[in-house]
Amino acid sequence: MTEITWPWQYNFPPFFTIQPHAETRAKQLEAWQQLIVEYLKATRQSTVDVRETQNNPLFNNTAINRKLSQEAVLTILEDMARTGRAAPTDKSKNVWEVYWHSLDEWGNMVYNWACSNGLNNSVCTLFELREGENTVDEEFHGLDMNVLLKALKALEIKGKCELMEFDDNQGVKFF
Amino acid sequence: MRRRAGLGAIQKQKLEQVKYREKGSEIQENQFQQMSKQLEVFRENLEEFATKHKNEIKKNAQFRRQFQEMCAAIGVDPLASGKGFWSVLGIGDFYYELGVQIVEVCLATNYKNGGLITLEELRTRLVAARGKAKKHQEITNEDLLAAVKKLRIFGNGFTVVPMGKGKWLVQSVPGELNLDHTLVLQKVSSLGTAWVSNSILMDDLGWTQTRAQSALSYMIREGLVWVDTQDPNETLLWFPSMFADCVSA
Repeated sequence: MTEITWPWQYNFPPFFTIQPHAETRAKQLEAWQQLIVEYLKATRQSTVDVRETQNNPLFNNTAINRKLSQEAVLTILEDMARTGRAAPTDKSKNVWEVYWHSLDEWGNMVYNWACSNGLNNSVCTLFELREGENTVDEEFHGLDMNVLLKALKALEIKGKCELMEFDDNQGVKFF
Repeated sequence: MRRRAGLGAIQKQKLEQVKYREKGSEIQENQFQQMSKQLEVFRENLEEFATKHKNEIKKNAQFRRQFQEMCAAIGVDPLASGKGFWSVLGIGDFYYELGVQIVEVCLATNYKNGGLITLEELRTRLVAARGKAKKHQEITNEDLLAAVKKLRIFGNGFTVVPMGKGKWLVQSVPGELNLDHTLVLQKVSSLGTAWVSNSILMDDLGWTQTRAQSALSYMIREGLVWVDTQDPNETLLWFPSMFADCVSA
């Protein structure tokens, strides 16, 4: 696991209790969002399962014996959803996708990579994008399938690519 | 039979009064002239002194303090006005500049400390921001206190809260801190833990539950503290301004 440098708040015990004072809470939520994104980025994850947060070092600082409750995690994720930085994958709101880049940014990243590799007007499989040798150095390498799909769909709406399905595989054609 | 006061006597008395008054104003005039002359001389000397040592005052912290003490001893405040002959001293400018920088530091750290900052942290950050030249580094706590006091003319937005033992907190959010709040801050500062609780205030300061509660809830309302409900015994209130990791972040 990649180590991240924890912000000072992580060792500040009340950081793990949702604050009653509005302004303080806003600062707290903002700090949590940054921390969550940074942590997921460092560990190359795209989803948070609320039910599994209690033993996750991100939400449970054993050194100071403080952890963020499930309700608190949900509060933060819902706040992130309002700014488009996260979205629940189902109605039960247990599993959340967290975007360390916005879908637009992901889309542009893939598109720029395709352009600079002369892949315009040719077809790539999504497997190639996620696991292919050519994308190893790209940030979107290994990106969660659903997140990648959503990003490409956003790109499709802008007319920069077209998603297609063949056999058991999904592919994308860049314009 | 007692004679009543005659007209002559009354007139004589009136005449005397007029003469006294005349003499009085004459003396006053005299004194005033002498005073003006003295002040003139004093002013000239002070101006000469100041122009000669202007740079010294700006650069040397020790010198600046002595100059301040001298001014305090003769009852003048060189910071009181930017106009008039004090402006040639340029000493006001020094403190105004410092004042602006203090405001900047307070605003920049407000997001994490809620508007309370120790004088030490303030000084460390100021010195870091002011650049490496020696004259920028030599800012004393007295300089900071003098500058913050001047900021008070903007209302109660900037106040200094004495913590005792040569420690101060600078408060940069509007909202009066009463004696109880100050006592709470002093308690936290002396404990060195960055947190307090109801029971500490009750045990150490001998307060009633209500008194402790009301002081603490004020501080929550003002956003000066963070609430921590995960201690096994009771709710703790934390001051980011005194939390070491926050101060050095």
